[in-house]
Amino acid sequence: MRRQSLLHASALVAVPLAFLGLVMVAPLLRLGIEASAGANTAMFVSMLHDGYLQRRVGWSVLQAALTCAAALLWGLPVAWVLARYDFAGRVLVLRLLMLPFVVPTLVAALGVLALWGPRGLFSRWLGLDLQDTPWLLLYGNLFFNLCLVVRAGVDALGQVSSARVAVARTLGATPWRVFWRVEWPAILPWLASSLCLVFLYCFSGFGLALILGGQRYSTVEVEIYTLVAHELKLAQAGALALGMLLLTGLVALAYAAMEQRLSAPVRADTMARKRPAGPWQWAAVGGAMAVLAFFCAAPLLAILAGAAGAGAPSWAVLLEDDTLQALWNTLRFTGMALLLATLLGVTHALAARRSVWLRAAAFLPFVVSPVTVAFGLLLLYPRWSASMLLLVSAYALLAYPFVAKSLGAALDGLPEHVLQAARTLGATPWRGFWRVTLPMVAPTLRRGMAFAAATALGEFAVTLFLSRPEWATLTTLIYQHLGRPGAANRDAALVLATVLMLLALLAFLLIESPQRRPGQPADAGLRELVRA
Amino acid sequence: MMNRRAFSFFAAVVLAVPVFTSSQALAADELRVLVHSSFSLPKPLLAQFEADAGTKLSVIKGGDAGEMLNKLILTRAQPIADVVFGLDNALVVKAQAANVLDAYTGAASQRAVAVPLAGNVVPVDYGFVNLNYDKAWFAKSGVPLPKSLEELAQPAYRNLLVVENPATSSPGYAFMLATVAGLGEEAAFDWWGRMRANGVKVAKGWSEAYNAEFSRNGGSRPLVVSYASSPAAEVFYSKEKIAESPTASLFLKGGVFRQVEGVALVRGGQQREAAVRFVEFLRSAAVQEALQTSMWMYAAEPRTPRPEVLRHAVEPAAFDNPSPETIAGKGSEWVDRWTRVVLK
Repeated sequence: MRRQSLLHASALVAVPLAFLGLVMVAPLLRLGIEASAGANTAMFVSMLHDGYLQRRVGWSVLQAALTCAAALLWGLPVAWVLARYDFAGRVLVLRLLMLPFVVPTLVAALGVLALWGPRGLFSRWLGLDLQDTPWLLLYGNLFFNLCLVVRAGVDALGQVSSARVAVARTLGATPWRVFWRVEWPAILPWLASSLCLVFLYCFSGFGLALILGGQRYSTVEVEIYTLVAHELKLAQAGALALGMLLLTGLVALAYAAMEQRLSAPVRADTMARKRPAGPWQWAAVGGAMAVLAFFCAAPLLAILAGAAGAGAPSWAVLLEDDTLQALWNTLRFTGMALLLATLLGVTHALAARRSVWLRAAAFLPFVVSPVTVAFGLLLLYPRWSASMLLLVSAYALLAYPFVAKSLGAALDGLPEHVLQAARTLGATPWRGFWRVTLPMVAPTLRRGMAFAAATALGEFAVTLFLSRPEWATLTTLIYQHLGRPGAANRDAALVLATVLMLLALLAFLLIESPQRRPGQPADAGLRELVRA
Repeated sequence: MMNRRAFSFFAAVVLAVPVFTSSQALAADELRVLVHSSFSLPKPLLAQFEADAGTKLSVIKGGDAGEMLNKLILTRAQPIADVVFGLDNALVVKAQAANVLDAYTGAASQRAVAVPLAGNVVPVDYGFVNLNYDKAWFAKSGVPLPKSLEELAQPAYRNLLVVENPATSSPGYAFMLATVAGLGEEAAFDWWGRMRANGVKVAKGWSEAYNAEFSRNGGSRPLVVSYASSPAAEVFYSKEKIAESPTASLFLKGGVFRQVEGVALVRGGQQREAAVRFVEFLRSAAVQEALQTSMWMYAAEPRTPRPEVLRHAVEPAAFDNPSPETIAGKGSEWVDRWTRVVLK
């Protein structure tokens, strides 16, 4: 049976590998050929000794590491509260958490500045000006990344065996000791996965941090972007991108090795959530909500307030033809990208179960500098450069690691005996997957899909690739409005951002519709299945 | 129970397939026009062109003008477009040297224009990159408007200016070129060094500088590198009818760059007849009039009537441009030097 399943895996792996090969590796190689013409050793040596570049790399690593530490510090307690306590609005909070992901960077910056800018709400209350300080930058990083850690933490804590916790408690362990000795080891692989993502996002980050911190805080990815897009110095850019790939590739590989070593099937006796009792537990819930409100909700609320205050004439932008078309484009591109990303993510996760390299490969789209991929694609497929196929592939490329990562973690935690039982009873591998594996990993798969949808709804791929005006999405439309002077344009951008957030929330609620009643153990479906 | 839900979900997703496949049409007889990200013309005008020329128009946005040219250079073996709009006087020589354009000798290139453009590029519109200031801020603070770039480096103007990074933004690049042409290379970089000490802020692009740093919007800087037409756009896109613009241009020696944009045939492109028509179309009276309030540039055709709102877009009397050859030869070196002086 093992032989057969291995065959199965090798057939599956062809799907994501072919995709990665066509859409990422081949374009990079093509760009590499173009770049190698101008490359020489002196250039590499001078780059290695360039103090400015060294500082850029150092800063990139430092801010990414700091963000990871801060995200863990704030995110884990919040995740613990959301995983252990049941309260009204809990499910909604989990969906709302992902909204920072879809807000266009510049709009998010406007939201943050409305709070912390020179005339911002908080700045005036507290009488301090954080603009141009690293603190605002760290705040921006947490705004975008806290949700990754919290969501992964909630999922992970939901898998902890209640029997083990109960035994530890019976043996006299304090809740704190239970956390360190029972819960922490169980959730570590999941947290490592999300922290790895946070690190990679911040490391190669373009976005909010840069607007808030100014160009002095720019990361290496910005250097590469400038070299490729504006100076066409492909050799230097290639060398830099390769160096970064080695660095981030090591992070991804280390994580993959750790995940594989740490992964252990979870027991089917997960902990039930309980209603908070007593002032301390309610205080914990209140504290968690306060953290989320401070880091994630406040800038979003500032955007909503701006849109609400814009007045009726600004809301008329919703009825314009351009807006309706952008709305439709956003929906269909997200749908197509999600379809492709799910296919790729599921096959990749299933195929990668026994290979560290394949696990690490799921990070490739995050590790490789996006602008080099964009120019490589242009060079390799000039005829297709402005085609829908390439556009959707680019979206899917940046979205599918979310599906692969979360599904991979769920598959690691899957008890093997159930599938073995199904196979013994005569189920084909396909049927075993469809009737046993899929239902058991469905919640995690949906979480991954929701994140994938979020990246597609957001701006990730739009600016780097060739596009057509008739393909404008809500995000591109927002940037068009912000590309012109005038109060009406800014208000229109805020209104459209509000619409984008509502649309995203709707998508998250659809993708992650609540699957079980509160308190019902995660494996209820499994038991039903076994009984049937 | 759960797997039935999962199934219905997958079924819904699979329904998206026809959408995916049906929209995948690659027409062979369309005119491919590569434009920069600020390109904008009224849709009825573009539709009229399609009807007149009997061809479908496929507009492809290639990013910022510099980025667009690089994409064109990179794909010159198999061009991604037949005609390109948006190359400006800072880029024409680079385009010429890379051999990506064909000469154009049609009617539009023979007519007199308000502004000249070198190379094989036919001028379509022009504008000015210069400082804009927030009128309310200066009125309230009582700080007098600076009369020269030199004054801006004085302590009285500390932390008041935001510029775009010349490495990532075309107005930022244009402004840097103007300082070099207006002050001289050594004096210009000396000035930039002192501006760094005096707290000049560098933003990635125009949108970031204008929306997030300019004091008229969310930021703290009352001086921003923008366009001479921006005050008019502020009036045009104001929420209530206003008689005066909240911002105005400040024309300082070494702080004004004239940008001339044009259209050109792509070497190796197809659809030559339609491409020629498109070049003429961009110089037609209708387009010349419309582009003034859709792209916020001045028309290249001398007798084009000016919309009333452009009264707020005062044209400067003088400007400082290096010659196109100098830009092509030293532009990238200056960007490197600027980065060393201001950011490193």
